[in-house]
Amino acid sequence: MSAILEVRDLRTQFDTLDGVVRAVDGVSFDLARGETLGIVGESGCGKSVTALSILRLIPPETGRIAAGSSIRFEGEELTGLSEQEMKRLRGHRISMIFQEPMTSLNPVLTVGTQIAENVTRHLGLPKKAALARAVEMLDLVRIADPGRRVYEYPHQLSGGMRQRVMIAMALSCDPQVLIADEPTTALDVTVQAQILDLMLELKEKTGTAIVLITHDLGVVAETTQRVVVMYAGRKVEEAPVEALFDNPLHPYTRGLMRAIPRLDVEADAAGTRPRLQEIPGLVPLLTRPIIGCAFAARCELATDRCRTTPPPFVDAGGGHIVACWEAKP
Amino acid sequence: MVAIADDLPLPPRRFSLGTAIRRNPTIAFGGILLLLLLTVAIFGPSFVGDPLKIAPVNRLRPPSERWWFGTDQFGRDLFTRTVYGSRVSLIVGLSVAAFSSLLGLALGLACGYFRRVDGIVMRIMDGLMAIPSILLAIALITLTRPSLFIVIVAIVIPEVPRIVRVVRAVVLSIRSQPYIESAIAGGTRNAKLLWRHVLPNTLAPLIVQSTYVCASAMLVEAGLSFLGAGVPPEVPSWGNIIAQGRTFFQIAPWSILIPGGFLALTVLAVNLLGDGLRDRLDPRLARRL
Amino acid sequence: MSGAPVLEVENLVKHFPIHGGLLQRRVGAVKAVDGVSFAIAKGETLGLVGESGCGKSTIGKTVLKLIEPTAGRILLGGEDVTALKPGAMWPHRRRIQTIFQDPYSSMNPRLSAGTIVGEPLENFGIAKGKDLEARVVRLFERVGLRPDSMRKYAHEFSGGQRQRLGIAKALSVNPDLIVADEPVSALDVSVQAQVLNLLIDLQEELGLAYLFISHDLGVMRHISHRIAVMYLGRIVEITDKRTLFTNPLHPYTEALLSAATAPDPRRKRRGKKIVQGDVPSPANPPSGCHFHTRCPYAVAECKVTSPPLKEVAPGHHVACLLR
Repeated sequence: MSAILEVRDLRTQFDTLDGVVRAVDGVSFDLARGETLGIVGESGCGKSVTALSILRLIPPETGRIAAGSSIRFEGEELTGLSEQEMKRLRGHRISMIFQEPMTSLNPVLTVGTQIAENVTRHLGLPKKAALARAVEMLDLVRIADPGRRVYEYPHQLSGGMRQRVMIAMALSCDPQVLIADEPTTALDVTVQAQILDLMLELKEKTGTAIVLITHDLGVVAETTQRVVVMYAGRKVEEAPVEALFDNPLHPYTRGLMRAIPRLDVEADAAGTRPRLQEIPGLVPLLTRPIIGCAFAARCELATDRCRTTPPPFVDAGGGHIVACWEAKP
Repeated sequence: MVAIADDLPLPPRRFSLGTAIRRNPTIAFGGILLLLLLTVAIFGPSFVGDPLKIAPVNRLRPPSERWWFGTDQFGRDLFTRTVYGSRVSLIVGLSVAAFSSLLGLALGLACGYFRRVDGIVMRIMDGLMAIPSILLAIALITLTRPSLFIVIVAIVIPEVPRIVRVVRAVVLSIRSQPYIESAIAGGTRNAKLLWRHVLPNTLAPLIVQSTYVCASAMLVEAGLSFLGAGVPPEVPSWGNIIAQGRTFFQIAPWSILIPGGFLALTVLAVNLLGDGLRDRLDPRLARRL
Repeated sequence: MSGAPVLEVENLVKHFPIHGGLLQRRVGAVKAVDGVSFAIAKGETLGLVGESGCGKSTIGKTVLKLIEPTAGRILLGGEDVTALKPGAMWPHRRRIQTIFQDPYSSMNPRLSAGTIVGEPLENFGIAKGKDLEARVVRLFERVGLRPDSMRKYAHEFSGGQRQRLGIAKALSVNPDLIVADEPVSALDVSVQAQVLNLLIDLQEELGLAYLFISHDLGVMRHISHRIAVMYLGRIVEITDKRTLFTNPLHPYTEALLSAATAPDPRRKRRGKKIVQGDVPSPANPPSGCHFHTRCPYAVAECKVTSPPLKEVAPGHHVACLLR
């Protein structure tokens, strides 16, 4: 199975009043054809910036992908492409859905027009055929009565419906890669479940590879095949999903898992609440270069070596790698 | 006992004039220009002669080493008159801005905070805004003896609704902020709520709006004086100088161009300051970088 | 658990009028809360869980008297505060405090952290000057903040620290009850754990009661003693936490539990019972049982009859015609 997307040593930086923020600081990963890869981490860990970088959507006024970073899509280097060439790629071979569908939909155009425009732009279909494609796509994402819904405006739809429309638009040109950035975070629990099911089902139907970016370990566990854990702009662990949840190796990953209030773990008979594991301290500031391991300041296992030398990736076998001096695979 | 949570290590930000100017070039440019004009208006008149001194021999002299800005049809030195004129313009601009801000702030707070007041006051404001401000000023001045004070009052009245609307909109948005609900739930009562939580957060947009009012007041004053409905003709305001130079424009264009240029420069300085402050004080815009 | 409940709510109704047309006439109402009753005992946490638009936040604001109820009764420690005007309500505010969801917007950006935390003490004339400062220092220490950060502004704190500030402020006047509206949903998991632990510690130490509003069942299960599940302005099921998770009786509770994700890759999504459709608009809720449009078990009668909340086992109330 060859990788459709290869990200190597991605570094994305932003200029702010407080200095240069190293939002993504040397991240590498592969995405195989038809695979669902989860990128998980807390706010500010660089997961969304990674997604934006792949699509080259970093605002040029404030940010840049540093030299030496490489993003190869089907063997083609994306970092060197012109904006024109990227435009041909985005929404066609790589598409993206965002957390808040309302901000990515144009409020003054019907959803049908918006999907049809995307189809016309990339596939060159005439207007009529493009609209027919839009109806077909709405039907695919299981929107009832698609023939009528294509003529509706985004504000006439509920949050879950809008996210379905976004998915329909993203898949309208049969992309090879779909990047979904917190696609269900703004949705209610029951609707989130519907959207996740829909994404998985469509993935099987179309063979699109998915990069699912989320802070929610529950969503990652239930939907992805492989997971990249990010912390402070770096990848700290990568593993097949079962291996990661059965045997998390990085102290940060372990901390995260113990910090979640579990729905599936039974409280003891007296009903006393087990204490949640806290991760003490805060995420480091990304404006200063991080020497050593980014997690060292919050880690109970940290030694002097951790604070001075960045840990290399250790292979724990079976595609499970971890960047930690103290982890015992 | 819980563990002490680590503080967010924010790097210290020292103030330096150089970086301040680089970050806010518009504020710096407008501010420095305005400061220069203010200095001229305050101290200038003590260094120049009498703006009313007539010297018919020297009438309509072009700008030269002796008369920097030339003379008018009565031989009065236009440099002296322009310097005095800056005083009038700035007095009008600043006092209109101050009075209308104070009035507008009080009314705007009341409207935004006490919904029952709102209906009545806002209808009056709508009514005021429907009257062309120049006409209102002319009417007011013809009813009384022309004086600087009356001109200021005449300009303040139509400007107040503009301030009220801004303040009211800001107060309405602040009222729906969670921190207001949080303060009420914490037992904060009306007077303190207004004073501590609402008022300070209205000041930034108020200052910005008042700079625009200041600029427009100076223009209206000049316009009124030009029409002969402004400050008494013997007062050397820029509007009066322009009005008096009008007849001789073709042979003595400097008598209009120079005070006109100063008026434009002053208004530009105030507007630049206002734009700069708006960008700086609006947290949504400021956070963009 | 003795004496009068710290909070009792009887048949609480809150309708928000919808105005429309040229003359802004009243054309309808959003039935945000539609006849809700519950009680919270001293030292107890009652969780209110439900999806957006179910009215859980409106209940929080109404019992705090930040908005006026349309009908029903609110009793604080046995005293009826329903009809009290703001002035008469004021002394009662000491007993019921609140923690907001968004630690970013619930603090005045122009005030120092110490002023924010000490404000209720000042308001009720409990302390001033040196005494006030000493009390604020103790509050900072109690919630795990450095007292020397008192002079900082809210934006200089991280999200978790700001939520600690909010807790310190709520604690300052020793309330009996804290209404916590989604207090951890804006926080990252690791920080969320810190705040939840703090809330539990404080409850055990001070005997506080919480009305804990959240959409997150995991958090709910962790912190609550009893849980009320809401759907479109009504409580559909209320019982102790254990029973709710092991023996949910209302189809909506079942749907919520089944839809929630868990950090366990073997709990696969397929085969889960997922209810279809979106939550209907509270401005125009379905007839009869509000849930009948999405309920897999609905029968003809569900469309007509609105089910009462009835006790099916001691302390376990369900509003479903089929149970």
